[in-house]
Amino acid sequence: MNTEGLHVKVQSRDLKLWYGDNQALKGVNLDIYENKITAFIGPSGCGKSTYLRCLNRMNDLISSVRIEGKIEIDGHDIYDPSVDVVAVRKRIGMVFQQPNPFPKSIYENVAYAPLMHDIVKKGPQCDELVEKSIRSAGLWEEVKDKLKQPGTALSGGQQQRLCIARAIAVQPDVILMDEPTSALDPISTQIIENLMVELKEKFTLVVVTHNMQQAARVADYTAFFHLGDLVEYGETEQMFVNPKEEKTEQYITGKFG
Amino acid sequence: MKENNYFYIPQIKKRNQKAARFKGFAALALASSLFFLGIFLFDMVRQGLPALNQVYVKVDVTIDEGTLKNPYAEFDRNTLSVISRAWVRGLPAMVEKNPEWMNTTQTLWALGAAETDQYIKGKQHRLKPAQIEQVEALRAEGKVELRFNSIFFSTGDSKIPENAGFFSAVVGSVLTMLVTMAIAVPIGIMTAIYLEEFAPDNRLTQLIEININNLAAIPSILFGLLGLAIFINFFGVPRSSPLVGGMTLALMSLPVIIVSSKAALKSVPESIRLAGFGLGLTRWQIVKDHVLPLALPGMLTGSIIALAQAIGETAPLIMVGMIAFVPDAATSIFEAATVMPAQIYTWSGMPEKMYVEKTAAGILVLLTILLSLNTVAIFLRRKFTKKW
Repeated sequence: MNTEGLHVKVQSRDLKLWYGDNQALKGVNLDIYENKITAFIGPSGCGKSTYLRCLNRMNDLISSVRIEGKIEIDGHDIYDPSVDVVAVRKRIGMVFQQPNPFPKSIYENVAYAPLMHDIVKKGPQCDELVEKSIRSAGLWEEVKDKLKQPGTALSGGQQQRLCIARAIAVQPDVILMDEPTSALDPISTQIIENLMVELKEKFTLVVVTHNMQQAARVADYTAFFHLGDLVEYGETEQMFVNPKEEKTEQYITGKFG
Repeated sequence: MKENNYFYIPQIKKRNQKAARFKGFAALALASSLFFLGIFLFDMVRQGLPALNQVYVKVDVTIDEGTLKNPYAEFDRNTLSVISRAWVRGLPAMVEKNPEWMNTTQTLWALGAAETDQYIKGKQHRLKPAQIEQVEALRAEGKVELRFNSIFFSTGDSKIPENAGFFSAVVGSVLTMLVTMAIAVPIGIMTAIYLEEFAPDNRLTQLIEININNLAAIPSILFGLLGLAIFINFFGVPRSSPLVGGMTLALMSLPVIIVSSKAALKSVPESIRLAGFGLGLTRWQIVKDHVLPLALPGMLTGSIIALAQAIGETAPLIMVGMIAFVPDAATSIFEAATVMPAQIYTWSGMPEKMYVEKTAAGILVLLTILLSLNTVAIFLRRKFTKKW
């Protein structure tokens, strides 16, 4: 795997996670590179989503979760006791499986978090950020005349792009996407995949996907998880064409999953 | 039939019959509840409507200095026996308001006595034959008339039935409800928010939640005892006052408000909260701006149901002394007052027949107020419900 000249954005070392007594991650070591798309694949229950949620400390919300190990973003430990979890999530945004716009207008959906983080002030500055973010999510032409309408009135694919715009507006370094297209139709999926490729210019993207073709289409690097272990990690092409591990090959060729 | 029907299923008739029977039972249940509700409403209206009118008798009074001292002396015995003593007692006050009446003879419509009223309305009465003669004579001259009963809507309770009104009970109820609302709604909603959104899910929280659910099932009279022991005896809150009544009812309403507000918060999809966390919002920002707007209609409904229950509550108020003879409307939450259901209860125990229609009319007023509150509640809920 040729990683020369690449900046490691997120690094995890020996990350272990338990749900109660049940160990879901068994020591994951992974480097995620800046301005690349990294896909996590693996069968259900393999820990890929759990690992993704460790990256912005979403697992803190579950009281039975216990975590050991280290995750660093640009060399800063996000689990350090002095770190406020809210600040971590501001730097590492997230897009979910089901589009989940706030029950507010399209404009407010995008503007709310930046206003709360004091990234912009109300008024023209905020309008500008909203437009820029929605444009980046490729939604502007469709919604520019109905910014006052509720975000929930949009179609599923549009809602998901609104959620991406909302995440972009906070100006994070990394955007985590947890199966962002699994609830969408093929056309919306394609639009979002194209969008992801555009977004990697500015952000580091991490995508969990059930769809191996999707990983093959968009990801620069792919990580294969199985039963809480990171089995194989490498350049997507190499992994799909010539996997090193037997398990990876079996999964990719559909022998289990 | 069997042989040439392609869609024949052997048990189809039985299955359809079963479905029809079940539908019939359900419809019957609805019909019977509507029937009983109808009977109740019809009876209340039938009994209560006559109270809207009251008998007045035309009398000539010569007014002088003596009227102010002893108004009874201005009327002969026959007249006095058919008009209200309460009205005669109030005559000096009327004269003071209209000084130009002094030393003139005025023709006034005097409030009829309760028995006269009942006789004219064709109800059971206790008039003696001589009095009936007197009333009939006056009626023949056109001096007896049924007029709108403004007394009922403007005065408080009285031991003289024709002079008894519902107004002070309405005022008492309003004051009591204001106290209840001011205490129970904010505390209830904040408690629900804390338990549902902030509290850690541990043994203590579960214990508290179970106990709140149990509190909702406690007989209301026990809350009255609690109010008596703590608010009146320990904290020295004035007894019979809307303050102590409102505080007691607030205790009773709290569990209902908490439980329904919690349910409303629970019904807000978790994905909204996750979206907020994913953007780095604090829990309070998420709750305040994204969860509460969705939960508000449910919270409002729960609160209004609890308050409507409290308006109709009588038992706990017995304990804090709000079931009392209170002729004057309270002007503050510290004065003695009575409430609508308490007034209805008091009247229902009175021996005079005229109180029967007053009781029914009181129930009608209470129902009208409750129905308008519910209408307001539905309106508010519609207004606040977000398209989702």
